[in-house]
Amino acid sequence: MKNEEPKIGVYICHCGMNIAGVVNVEEVAQYIGKLPNVVVAKHYVYMCSQPGQALIREDIKQLGLNRVIVASCSPRMHEPTFRKVLGEAGINPFLFEMANIREQVAWAHMREPEKATEKAKALIRMAVARARLLEPISKIEVKVVPRALVIGAGVAGITATIDLAKKGFEVYLVEKKPYVGGHLALLNKLYWGKDASEVYTSLVKKLSHPNIKVLVNSDITKISGHIGNFEVKITQKPRCVTENCNLCGKCEEVCPISVPNEINLGLDQRKAVYLPLPNCYPPKYIIDKENCNSCGECLKVCRKKAINLDEKTREIDIIVGTIVVTSGFEPYKPKGEFGYGKYKDVITQLMLERLLSQNGPTKGELIKPSDGKKPRSISFIMCVGSRQELKEEQGEKPLNAYCSRFCCSSALKNALLIKERYPETQVYIIYRDIRTFGRRHEELYRKCRESWITFIRYKPEEPPKVTEKDGQLVVKVKDWLFKVNMEISTDLVVLVEGMIPREDTADLQAKINVTRSPDGFFQEAHPKMNPLDTFTDGLFIGGTAQGPKDVIDTVYQASGAAAKAAILLSRGRVLIDQVTATVNEEICTGCGKCTKVCPYTAIELDEIKEVAKVYDVKCKGCGSCSSTCPVGAVQVRHFKDAQILTMVENLLPFKED
Amino acid sequence: MSSIEEEQEEQEKQEKQQSVLVLGGGVCGIQVALDLADMGFKVYLVEKKPSIGGHMAQLDKTFPTLDCSACILTPKMVDVARHPNIELLTYSEVLAVSRASKSFEVTILKKSRYVNEDKCTGCGICAQYCPIEVPNEFDQGIGIRKAIYVPFPQAIPLIYTIDKENCIKCGLCERMCEAEAIDHNQQPMKITVTVGSIVVAVGFQLFDAKNKQEYGYGRYDNVITGLDFERLVNAAGPTGGHLARLSDAKIPKKIAFIQCVGSRDEKSGNLNCSRVCCMYAIKQAILAKEHIPDADIHVFYMDIRAYGKGFEEFYTRAKEEFNVKFVRGAVSEIVEIPETKNLIVRVEDTETGELLEKEFDMVVLSVGLTPPSDSEAIENILGISKGEDGFFSSPDPQIFTVDTNIGGIFIAGTAEGPKDIPDSVAQASAAAMKASVALVQLTQEEKHVEK
Repeated sequence: MKNEEPKIGVYICHCGMNIAGVVNVEEVAQYIGKLPNVVVAKHYVYMCSQPGQALIREDIKQLGLNRVIVASCSPRMHEPTFRKVLGEAGINPFLFEMANIREQVAWAHMREPEKATEKAKALIRMAVARARLLEPISKIEVKVVPRALVIGAGVAGITATIDLAKKGFEVYLVEKKPYVGGHLALLNKLYWGKDASEVYTSLVKKLSHPNIKVLVNSDITKISGHIGNFEVKITQKPRCVTENCNLCGKCEEVCPISVPNEINLGLDQRKAVYLPLPNCYPPKYIIDKENCNSCGECLKVCRKKAINLDEKTREIDIIVGTIVVTSGFEPYKPKGEFGYGKYKDVITQLMLERLLSQNGPTKGELIKPSDGKKPRSISFIMCVGSRQELKEEQGEKPLNAYCSRFCCSSALKNALLIKERYPETQVYIIYRDIRTFGRRHEELYRKCRESWITFIRYKPEEPPKVTEKDGQLVVKVKDWLFKVNMEISTDLVVLVEGMIPREDTADLQAKINVTRSPDGFFQEAHPKMNPLDTFTDGLFIGGTAQGPKDVIDTVYQASGAAAKAAILLSRGRVLIDQVTATVNEEICTGCGKCTKVCPYTAIELDEIKEVAKVYDVKCKGCGSCSSTCPVGAVQVRHFKDAQILTMVENLLPFKED
Repeated sequence: MSSIEEEQEEQEKQEKQQSVLVLGGGVCGIQVALDLADMGFKVYLVEKKPSIGGHMAQLDKTFPTLDCSACILTPKMVDVARHPNIELLTYSEVLAVSRASKSFEVTILKKSRYVNEDKCTGCGICAQYCPIEVPNEFDQGIGIRKAIYVPFPQAIPLIYTIDKENCIKCGLCERMCEAEAIDHNQQPMKITVTVGSIVVAVGFQLFDAKNKQEYGYGRYDNVITGLDFERLVNAAGPTGGHLARLSDAKIPKKIAFIQCVGSRDEKSGNLNCSRVCCMYAIKQAILAKEHIPDADIHVFYMDIRAYGKGFEEFYTRAKEEFNVKFVRGAVSEIVEIPETKNLIVRVEDTETGELLEKEFDMVVLSVGLTPPSDSEAIENILGISKGEDGFFSSPDPQIFTVDTNIGGIFIAGTAEGPKDIPDSVAQASAAAMKASVALVQLTQEEKHVEK
């Protein structure tokens, strides 16, 4: 192949009028057709269409082309399309080069058609130069271990786990907390009165599947490896309560230590030995080692001898073929706004869910945390920690510019529920826009209006103020629609908090190497077409780890992410293009600089030969090593120095002799 | 029977059960088909139109990244055409489905294109010579097509179709076709396939803006719908991307967008929010500004529902960077000035209490999403239930949105209720997951019974 004279075919795409409306494609084709090694240069209305592709296939056959250039759009979308065409025509897909004359030429220089045409010529000329030096790239086959890891056991993680298990794959479900269920376990009702704990119970029942291993109280400590073969280190903290526990609860009675109960968001206390929730899975007590004083009282009363205070941390190593990240969100914690923290009766919506829940601190009785009395008037303040705006003059940084998506419908659901349970209660919704976009959620909004819930629209410039007057909470707000200043005496203020990325997102990100979008949540591979993939092969995301959403949208996203994992596991193998770094062992001095810059731990020092060694499967061809190497010993296939430099040399037009 | 024969039979049985029918070739159906095919199942993808692509193929750009819609959709369309596990049945409809033990027997009608699919090369010479011009439905009737046509240049499959209603049988196409692909006597064909699972991804239809008479769509030339607008700004559209008034081809300098047309409106028969219109209007407002930088743009709305990833930021950009004016108020009426064909929009600004009468050059109606036109037929054929809103519905819509009342049949995308592209695509994968589980369980049950 190397000795073969390059025969290059160049295809210039009109992209309808997108390119041809600016660039003189005929002129470009004529010019390019005269360049050395160019056998044919054509232009066509849509190169990505079936006849466009057929044009290339035909020319490869008829003219014996061995290099192809398409000058069209960004390679992001269609480079794979054209590489496939080459493959189908029997030549190596990497003997293809793309020149971006749409985004970089036609769109950028819409009002300068002549200059744009010249620039298109230059870009294609560079592509031709590079094409001359292109070399075929081979593929590496990687076996896929038929096992999946799901990180995070909220409703998303549980759903993905059950789906994969039912499809016939072994699944490890790893959860930091001592129980599964995430925020679903804390909710009172879903929409239309559907009981969240019933949903929870029916879901966790399905986890008792031979293909599923649930590891709660566990954390991912390290992930190495690559698609098809990830090595995962998991640390499981001691529970100190064994399988023998029969949930008699005697231990809890005698335990002398009381601490704020995080499950009820500090609304009540729990013991150092406790059952997180009455219906939780796994249904076992746990000893909170941080607060336990090892007094041994529990040991004395436990007839089943189920307590083992000396239990040690377990290290579990597993190998999986794919990973689904469903690590969830955390609720925004108000930072003192609207009197939160100052007044006991200013609570968050998640606290309200706990107060309304049968398994909550009040067994579902709605009370004021300050005095335990029934509130006669409740005000919901929306968009707390969402849609925050930049206030530069105050030196504040924008926190969450985004909408949290679930909170409007969720607050209306709770408002309606309160109206149904306690009809005499006055309920106020203080909002900016009501975003009940979900299916049938507009009906919920309508029902709230019909139930005499008062809606007050505020502008972000004039947010409501929560104060206290003679022991009574007062919300001062300007109703933007009726142009009146209101003072609402209220017993309970519910701050409808948004969703934020989990505090440990950065920590997890470092382990799984998934990028994050500007809002801090994990980023999907493409916001429209690949909402479940990530830029790391073999790793998929679902649920609120990707961004705020309600239970409904979370669940189908999780199943979708499971589908992506199932595709990989069903195939059993993946083919990876060897666009990877290579080391010239004769030049390499073994300085090791490359090993330090590699973000994928794909390059190591061979201690015997004292030269750098590349692990092809892990290498992404990013080129960090190549640009760091002081002696030029590392080259990346398909992006060799010569292949790049010739483009630079050809940037300026030839002197026409 | 020898063990080899047994094995063969077993294999045949598995092949028989491990196929799946996907109804609808929009972006959702495409994703369902690709996922299932990638898992190794045989997929029959049935689309009633001559090409797959659905509504997404008609869009110009997508929110909030302004990615070119066709550019991100066509690679997936091509993947469908190329996939060895997908059998694409376009211009086809499901006639009947019957339950055969654990699987479904599906009768599909392949309508006549009057063009031989195996012979047509998509060269387009026939259309060049065809003398009949009719409004092109792909361009919302704004542009024209011939009586022999492909809906759009990147159509999959790229096979021409003769529209017999308009064809005058002049025979020119037949004479010009070098591939001898034209067959005026082609008969519709019935195909029967047996599948283990069915995914319904038949999409939506847009609210018919003519039903909102006070806005004058269909009567006033310069009142258009959001989808009309998409075709007008699209470089491959009927105007080559030139945003102009339909009455006089003048560039509109004042444009109004009216929200919730056929959504959140009891009178229109749809109480619910259509979930995409706020964002597509914001996107279109920005596109209008890009086409006509000095345009004055107003959006009349009730609530702006910028709920998804990057949506609120996009809304902020429209306000701050592009100076799009958002006015909260439901438009009561639009009146045309006969001389200028300009439009007076009557609305109460609910933030100021003022009654406004504003003149615009063009009004774009942000029409909502309604159940697919053939939802009733599909309901009858498959026996799956719909919700009160007319969209297909799961018996447990709070958790398992893709399930139906019939085991083995699943729903996804906008057939299950309005949603945007990423949500449709994610739900498509979810339906593929559930269908694959149903198929696997079917095989397991079968094996169990045999033992």
